[in-house]
Order: sequence, then structure tokens, then C-alpha cells
Amino acid sequence: MKVVNLSKSYGSVEVLSNINLTVAPGEFICIVGPSGVGKTTLLRSLSGLAKLSTGTVSIGDEIMDGPRAEIGLVFQDYRGSLMPWMRTLENVAFPLQGKGIKKAERNKIALQCLADVGLEDAGHSYPWELSGGMQQRVAIARALAYDAHILLMDEPFGSLDAQTRLGLEDLVLELRKRLNISIIVVTHDIDEAVYLADRVVVLSGKPATVIDTVEIDLGNERNQLTTKSDPRFVEYRNRVLKEIMH
Amino acid sequence: MNINFSSFFPHWLRNIVALWWLPTLGFILWWYISANSTSFFFPSLSAILSVLYRDLSSGLLVGYLIVSLSNMAIGLSYAIVLGVICGLIIGEFKMLREVTAPLLNFLRSIPPAAVVPIVIVAMGTDSPPKIFIIAMACFWPILLNTIDGVRGIPAQMLETTRAFRIPYHLMLSRVLFMGALPQILAGIRIALAAALVLMVISEFFGASEGIGFYIRNKKEAFAMAETWAGTFLVGVLGYLLSTIFLKIEHWLLAWYFQNAPEEKTKLNAVKQA
Repeated sequence: MKVVNLSKSYGSVEVLSNINLTVAPGEFICIVGPSGVGKTTLLRSLSGLAKLSTGTVSIGDEIMDGPRAEIGLVFQDYRGSLMPWMRTLENVAFPLQGKGIKKAERNKIALQCLADVGLEDAGHSYPWELSGGMQQRVAIARALAYDAHILLMDEPFGSLDAQTRLGLEDLVLELRKRLNISIIVVTHDIDEAVYLADRVVVLSGKPATVIDTVEIDLGNERNQLTTKSDPRFVEYRNRVLKEIMH
Repeated sequence: MNINFSSFFPHWLRNIVALWWLPTLGFILWWYISANSTSFFFPSLSAILSVLYRDLSSGLLVGYLIVSLSNMAIGLSYAIVLGVICGLIIGEFKMLREVTAPLLNFLRSIPPAAVVPIVIVAMGTDSPPKIFIIAMACFWPILLNTIDGVRGIPAQMLETTRAFRIPYHLMLSRVLFMGALPQILAGIRIALAAALVLMVISEFFGASEGIGFYIRNKKEAFAMAETWAGTFLVGVLGYLLSTIFLKIEHWLLAWYFQNAPEEKTKLNAVKQA
């Protein structure tokens, strides 16, 4: 995925200005910035849900002009994004129905993706019968089932409790490794960003621009205890924190 | 000694008693107070019921009921199909909502009963005008509730369907329709009550059969027991229909009634208002 000179205005107010970004296959990018800076707007622009004011987003050689099959989206608010009248399995399989895949086939894929997020037994439940963390895992399974090569996540763990959040962070890292997909996460949590990412993109200013891109050289194996107490982790975190506090 | 009476009776029996003691009491009071009635306008309940039994078992009222109920079913079906389809489309597009709002608000303010004479003059005395009147009365609550229902679907749910490129027909049937279903059914519940009223009123004029015709015809003949019997029958009918509908509603909306009870009550409060 390649972003060139992206800017986005609402009326005369420019929110994002001149954003450039390249995401390699299998890469994990976190976008951080102070609240209200335009992180979600950027993610919506990348997903094709919002029109760009200038610039282009392309996948491979193709310039995007709307939502794409290569992109799976996970919202912060799983309650507003999973359909309460569909069982978990139907929720995951629903986008596949849109692709015209036969029922037996799409249920098989959906079940596999539920298993990928550790919910192979929850297919028959309704979303609201599950905990918040489980619902967010269903939303991730849905994006995986869609067979996206790029996962876009908007504050995916923002409304979960701390413990659930750590578990899901590791789940997402594992999925990336196993399925070799690119993942772009928007978050305001700097620890989370540094822990997850290969690269942290720092947004700041009005209009927001990329003020820094931090390569996180902590290897592919991350661990909630050892990685987070690594002196390099602390160094990265402080660097990003300083930039955002300015 | 303390005797716990409730443990003697099974749960379902206590439920029935709790629900039915007042209607039963009313029935008994009516029965005894009217027993020796000499009033021309208020015959005894036993006279009313024996007339009702007579006309039901002779097949006269059964035939009338079939005519009336089929008018009602056809009219209601038209209203449901048209109301839901128009409601989904109007509800989805903000511009369409704004453009149609004044007209809809004017049209729905006309009491359907006021249209009965014109429709009968224009369409004659057969079933079609009656079906038309019932459909018209039922259309508004279903349409307006469907519009509200679509508007109540969280914006993010629609964004989700867009992000996953759900085709339009699937979005309509599995997202908009299902998301609006609680309000659609609430609209149909209101429509059902209206349908019953219009079913009777539409048969008051220029009709030769049906339960409404029976009531009016017997009144013209000063057969008060029969008039009461017809009225009583309509009451029972209304009760049965709404009970059956509530069961269907609960069955269709199992996901909804188990989910977010506080929002559900809020919604119903709005409906009643």
C-alpha cells in the first residue's frame, strides 16, 4: 500500500496535509498522535470510506477509488459494527455472502477464521452474548475471513480492559506472523504502538502531518514482559511521547 | 401456623389467575347485573351470548367473519409490503426524507374513517374499497415506523457494510430490514388495531356481508341482542389478534428482546406517545 501526498479537508478546514506512507506486505504500522489530530480520518481515507481531497492511495499499481477487497476494517466500537441479529458465524460469513461465495463454503471459511482468533466454539452465539474482548475478536475474524491482505484497525482495543487488551495485542501479532498480512493500527496508546509496530508513524499539528517515523528494532518476537522492559523499548516510547507532547 | 398457599399451585396456574381474575369478575358482574334486564338497549348477557352462539353455529357469522378477516388480511398485507419498501428507501436517503416529510405528515393526519364515504362512492360496494381503506389506514404507521427504524441503525453499521462492499440487495434485506425490524413490527402492531377498526367501519356503508354489516344491519332492525353479539365478537377478535401478534413478534425478535432491555423500553415509550 502506498500513500502519496494525501490531504483531506472538511470544507475549508484542512485536517490532514501531505501524508506520504508506504506499507510493505507483512509490515505492522502503528499511527499515533494526540486526540483529535485526525488519526481516524486518515484511517477512513486509507480504507476508501472517505474521499481524499488530494493525493492518492494505491494498492500494488492500482489507485483506490473506494473500499477494496484487499482491505479488512476493524472499528473501535464493536457494538456498532457487529450485527446483533446475526449469530457470530453469520457475522463473520456475511461479507463472503456479498462476494457471492456459496453458503457451505463461506461457513467453512468463517469457522476457520473464528478458530484463528480462538473462538471456534462461539459461532452459534449472538455477539451480545459475548464479552467485549470476544466481540472484538469476532470483528477481527470477519476482517480475516474477507481475505484481506491489509488489516486496518481504528483504536481496536480502546474500549477493552487492560488485561483483555494485552491478550488481543499478542493475538494480532501472532496473526500477522502466521498469515503474513499487513496491519495498520491507529491508536493513542504509545506503549501499545511501540510494542506492536515495525514502524510507528507520528502525526501532529494542525493540519496534521507526519512529524516522525520511528523504526522499531525490537525483532519479531515480542513479549509483554521482556519487550516492555527492554531499554530500547523505553527509549522509543519516550521519543514518541516527547514528540506528541510538544 | 403459617401455610404457604403459593406452593400448592403450579406456576402456570398462578399466572393464569393473575391475568384473568379481573376479566372474569367483569364477566360475572355483567352476567348477574344484566340477568333481569328489561331495558331495550341493554339486553341480558345470556341473551347476547345465546344469539351469538346461534348465529355462529348456523354459519352466518362464520361466513361474515371469513369475508371481513380476508379483507383485513389482504389490506394489511398490501400496507406491510408497500410501507416497508417505501420506508426502507425513504429512511435510507436523507434528501428523500426531507422532501417527503411535509406531504407524509399531512396525509397521515387525515383520519382514515373520514375517507370511507368518498372511497365507497368512487369504488363501489364490493371488497376492493374496503381493502383499500384498510390498506390506507395501515400504511402510515408501518411507513413511519420503518423510516424511524432505518434511521435508528447505527451509522457505523452502515459504514461496515460499505467497507466490506456488501451489495445493495443484501444490505437492504439483511442490514436495513433486520435493523429496522423492531420498529417495523411495532408499526404493524399499531396497524393491526387500525385495521380492525376500519374493517368494521368500512362495512357500515354499502355492504351486504361482513361483521360490520351484521352489526349495522341488526341495529337497523332494532335487534339489540344481535348488535351486542357482533360488537362482543369484534372485541374478542381484537384481543385474539393482538395476542397472536405479540407471540409472533417475540419469536421474530428473540435477539432484540434479550439484548439491551433498557433501549427496548425507551423505544416502546416513544411508540406509545
